[in-house]
Amino acid sequence: MAQNPTRNKVSETEFEKRRGINRVEVREGFAQVHISDLNEPLNDNRLKILAAAKDANISLDFLKLTPDGMSFLVKEDQANIVTSTFKDLGANVAVEPGRHVVMVHAVNMRDEEGLIASIVLQAIKSGAAIGHVSDMHDRVLIVVGKDDSDRLKKQLEGNLIGAHA
Amino acid sequence: MKFGGTSVATPEARAASCARVIAAKEQGFNPVVVVSAIGRRGAPYATDTLLSMLRDIDPNVPPEPREIDLLISCGEILSSVIFAHTLKIMGVAAQAFRGGQAGIYTDGTYGNARITRVNPEMMQRSLEQGYIPVISGFQGIHVLRDPVQGRALPGGELTTLGRGGSDTTAAAVGAALNAEAVEIYTDVDGVKTADPDYVKNAPTLRTVTYDEVAEIAHLGAKVLHPRAAEIAMQYGIPLWVKSTFSEDPGTEIVGKDAFPGRRVTGVTHTGKLVYLQFDLSCASEADRTSLETRIYELMSRNHLNLHLPNLSPESTGFAVPKDQFEVVKNLLDGLVIPVPGGKMTYLLQIGRDASKEVETQAELLDPIGPVSRIVAEVNEGCTMVSLVGHEYMQQPGVFLSALKELSDAQVRVLQTTDSDYSLSLLVPEADTRKAVAVLHDKFGLAQAI
Repeated sequence: MAQNPTRNKVSETEFEKRRGINRVEVREGFAQVHISDLNEPLNDNRLKILAAAKDANISLDFLKLTPDGMSFLVKEDQANIVTSTFKDLGANVAVEPGRHVVMVHAVNMRDEEGLIASIVLQAIKSGAAIGHVSDMHDRVLIVVGKDDSDRLKKQLEGNLIGAHA
Repeated sequence: MKFGGTSVATPEARAASCARVIAAKEQGFNPVVVVSAIGRRGAPYATDTLLSMLRDIDPNVPPEPREIDLLISCGEILSSVIFAHTLKIMGVAAQAFRGGQAGIYTDGTYGNARITRVNPEMMQRSLEQGYIPVISGFQGIHVLRDPVQGRALPGGELTTLGRGGSDTTAAAVGAALNAEAVEIYTDVDGVKTADPDYVKNAPTLRTVTYDEVAEIAHLGAKVLHPRAAEIAMQYGIPLWVKSTFSEDPGTEIVGKDAFPGRRVTGVTHTGKLVYLQFDLSCASEADRTSLETRIYELMSRNHLNLHLPNLSPESTGFAVPKDQFEVVKNLLDGLVIPVPGGKMTYLLQIGRDASKEVETQAELLDPIGPVSRIVAEVNEGCTMVSLVGHEYMQQPGVFLSALKELSDAQVRVLQTTDSDYSLSLLVPEADTRKAVAVLHDKFGLAQAI
């Protein structure tokens, strides 16, 4: 609703942001935890791991189910707690420290069909070892090792910023 | 005040919508109206009906995007004229405007244009002359320029705004006029905690943040398009979702700072998805990169909308909307991928049973050298159920609660993905209703406000 037609005179207003990717940034300080060789019943054993994580007050991100377990991200400073907590459960635990999350920002990315595939494609082409991929309404999040994050960021910036504009 | 398809579909609905506009004027506001086309899918003047008139001439000849935009914009124009005339009959002067007449300028992307600027002069003139402007949503105008002289060519090209176009028009017009508020009128009371078809009595949220509503829309709910939220957020315009047909106060969309609390906002579900998982364990690391590159290149080039992309050293996978699966299958099934410098040629097979195309390719490749078949496991009946939250997902125990609840309800979770605002679970489509209901219950959403 417009309140007063003469009070609010605006000559011209600029609107929607450029389509496609507008920014790439990196979040640091994570460790990726891989739980494998879980026995059957697999689902129950996954839940036991998640319950142990909750009891140890560990916050998880980027949970991915794997054929014999799962993987997820924790804050790097929690990596030691993770190792001891889950080993007590008899799980095979591997922790990869130094994981970064590369965030690729694009407004309303589901409206840009093919955009998520383009981002994944560039991530693969960068040669980075990708730990996980996730998406939100305005960004794709890619988990990589710290040695790969700069290369991935440059690959994405160089090939995709402005490409869908 | 924007009125969606169901709010302008019948004379009774239009009378109810017009009554809301008149009430706003009587309260001392100067309402500006944006309307969608009359009725939803199947209705005589709905967008898809107009489109089928063109496509039915010869289904084998695709219409030009420019011509499609000209045609489908008629639904909103018709709606704006009828709405303005109804207001006149109800005693209030009103003027209908096409998007371009109202000063809405876009880029030149037919079918999915972005609003670049709004010149509100004509709307302001209309208001000053005592009219209520009624603007056709979902459309604007793109100014073409002479490539040599740079001057604007006369007329301009009509463009449509794509998904969420009328919501976006309303937010842009509201921002250009520095409106007190933008109100999106629909046939539900506001933003619900879940699809009321799946959870009876799902409450209406009184307040949601721009990010929450954008994430809800991203993950399947269709209550308000994030493009509208983006503009309202950018310009600090209060945005509301209300029902045309009830006195419920509706939902206010606010900035993050206005909602300091932590909560689960709602449970959403997407439409039907097909999940494909490619087993790459037989390929070397270098070959895997070539295979993945080719697969995602094809998905990108063909504008396919991927969900749940999943990469690991042994496999790669993603979900696609069911209506795009045939395209994916046509692109990938039987695709031969020679690896540069490699000793192996790869042949993609979609599904456990080889199609005729795959067998033919295998026979043709046989004399050339070793061929390795990459088989994608296909799960056709999936959907993604998502928990959307505000400052909530990073709490310890959220995954456990969601997965345990679904496990207790005998719902198999095929894969998960999560972000700052959401936790999504890929489940069998047949269990969608159950999954939405148990998560809604577990996270206390029946009491949400």
